Amino acid sequence: MANIQSHSPAAKVGKVITYSVLLVFSCFAVVPLLWLFMNSFKTTQEFMIDKLSLPGQTEGYSATLVNYIDAWTRGKFPTLIMNSVIYTAGTVIMVEVLAIMAGFGFAKLRCKATKVLHGSFVIGILLTIQCIMVPLFLLVNAIGLYNSRLGVLIPYIGISLPMAVYLATEYIKSIPDALVESARIDGASYFGILARIIAPMAKPVAVTVAILTVSSIWNEFMLINILTSDDALKSLPVGINQFAGALTTDYGKQFASLVIGLIPMLAFYLVFRKEITKGVAAGAVKG
Amino acid sequence: MKKGKHTLTIALALLLCLVPAMLFAGGSSEATAAADDGKINLTVLNYRDTSATNSANEDEVVWDYFLEQNPDISLTIENIFGEPFLAKTEAYLASGNLPDVIYMWSGGKSASVHQNHAVKDLMPFLEKDGLVDDYNPAALVPQYGGYLAELPEGITASHMIFVNKTVLEDCGLEIPETLDDLLAMVPVLKEKGYGVFAMDNMTTWVMQSTLVSTIVGRLGGADWYDRLVAGEIDFTDDWFVDSLELVELLYDEGVINRNSLQSTYGTSRGPFALNQYAFLVDGDWACSSLMMDNTTGQALLSRERQENDIELIVFPEIPGEVVHDTTSGTIGTGYAISADIEEGSAKEEAAWRLVKYLQGEHVQEYRLVTGQAFPTNLNVDVDKVIEENNLEPLVSKRAEFYNTYSYTPVIDDVLSSEVANVIDIGLQELGLGSKTPVEVAQDVQDTWEKWLDKQ
Repeated sequence: MANIQSHSPAAKVGKVITYSVLLVFSCFAVVPLLWLFMNSFKTTQEFMIDKLSLPGQTEGYSATLVNYIDAWTRGKFPTLIMNSVIYTAGTVIMVEVLAIMAGFGFAKLRCKATKVLHGSFVIGILLTIQCIMVPLFLLVNAIGLYNSRLGVLIPYIGISLPMAVYLATEYIKSIPDALVESARIDGASYFGILARIIAPMAKPVAVTVAILTVSSIWNEFMLINILTSDDALKSLPVGINQFAGALTTDYGKQFASLVIGLIPMLAFYLVFRKEITKGVAAGAVKG
Repeated sequence: MKKGKHTLTIALALLLCLVPAMLFAGGSSEATAAADDGKINLTVLNYRDTSATNSANEDEVVWDYFLEQNPDISLTIENIFGEPFLAKTEAYLASGNLPDVIYMWSGGKSASVHQNHAVKDLMPFLEKDGLVDDYNPAALVPQYGGYLAELPEGITASHMIFVNKTVLEDCGLEIPETLDDLLAMVPVLKEKGYGVFAMDNMTTWVMQSTLVSTIVGRLGGADWYDRLVAGEIDFTDDWFVDSLELVELLYDEGVINRNSLQSTYGTSRGPFALNQYAFLVDGDWACSSLMMDNTTGQALLSRERQENDIELIVFPEIPGEVVHDTTSGTIGTGYAISADIEEGSAKEEAAWRLVKYLQGEHVQEYRLVTGQAFPTNLNVDVDKVIEENNLEPLVSKRAEFYNTYSYTPVIDDVLSSEVANVIDIGLQELGLGSKTPVEVAQDVQDTWEKWLDKQ
């Protein structure tokens, strides 16, 4: 067996190269965030004059919190954050439950219609929001859910399900059929098998689905504008984007908004980083 | 099996949590409750550009003030901006349920509203109230759909050259009057380390809207679009090819830096204010970016610099131009009344009261003071407002600019986006040197003919 902890010069050089590459990639991820954070303490005027200096280093300017205060109040962030949490949490929970159930059905309870049914779900991956936007607006209007949180949640669940069902199905297929068959012989119902055997084993793909759903719904910008009209029902991306116009951009407030929008996602990552890493790895190998 | 039970319990608990969340989610908007107090409720689709300098007080100054003055009306305002605004307008049109009052453009961006005649002609309303003479005649011309669909808040000059006199004086130069003067300046400015035209051409519409529309107008005449539609001229004719050749010349001679093709729109305003360029080529809307921002108390150009260092001009005289001292301009945005509102109804009267107010003296004065738009309402005494409010020098210079220069069409305002996009891309290809002016002109002509065939 090769010695992994080799101390040969070649191994050391390899290690240096590896760490150098990792450092460069870390910089690609971290430096833009630091630059964003730094510039959020500059006024738009200071930023337009010098984009690289530290806040307050440009003559005649000082570091300021005015962007955060203004963005928070004018951007109505407390309401937007609460809405984003409701939409994201609601969608993730429903998508997880429905995708695992559908995945179990498609992977383990096959019948003649399985291919067609599975295909009808998965084809949704190919649909862009732009092509379903107007029909969706008409439909939501027709059933009286326009301008309500439920009218946003249902489409969000719908657009997240195709990928989730695809991933869950492929993952559950990799679980041996023998487990399901043994449980059936022991007298377990299909719901019992799903709850007691499949769901616990599908935890890695559930984490993958959660990551994909959280990131897409948290950042969703177009549908929320189409399906609601009240400011009180909009979500965080609306607040973040409102300081970037077609002809002018209020950079200071936009950067402050971006930092505000980034904090919940960073917190989410820090709390669940182990699960996220495991989930991505498992999803990549088995999904 | 214990672990499985645990998972089932968690799943059920999550579902139980979700039920009240869903119920809460089902809570409808405040909007639906509005008109129960005997007031006439108007739904408004408003474009809210929060990034516009000094737009912070719009709710209080514009909308709340209207409600105070009109206690019999209530408003349900939907504020939206950017691409979603256009998508939402299309969705409303498709549903046949347009809000009572909508913000819209006079041209291409609101093409489907115009083409479907989804909003009322406002001219009969103006005539009925005897208000026609209160507005700049240029603002009341028929729009994309052939009638006055929206009452414009201003007339926009999409081409305005900001001259940095400090830079010119440092080089011993004068404001150029002809193209030759401009070209002769280039080596002098370069030697001193200055750039010539500050432009950000990465965004495709910028070159077309802020420079080429004016050049095309000069060489093609103010009526080039009408003659094009009438089939009297083509894009492959001299007026258009020469315009493109001039753009190529400006790149070749270093008037426009090819690096500008990598610069996002608005970026060069800072370097211009820092005296790194002799000229800033932009639209009139750039004025407000250079002026005081009330939320920070800072300005890219101080009052003193606006007064002493800055002049507003148009592109200098071009050999062979058929009209002189022109900029490119378009009627600004404004508000329209849905065609679905019953004629002669109380709601129609309320909607007209709102539209009239939004382009009345109070709101137009506010937009002048904040530098957002220059008034179309002739009752706004611009000089008096400037003096009374001690407005920054750039406002009065802007007023003088409008009085000095006449207008030719903005390309993307009169042509469909299908054709205008080919021009935008072609201008970038010229900048990159990947196509010649003749090739670009041919591409545009081909697209124009295809578009005509579809009509």
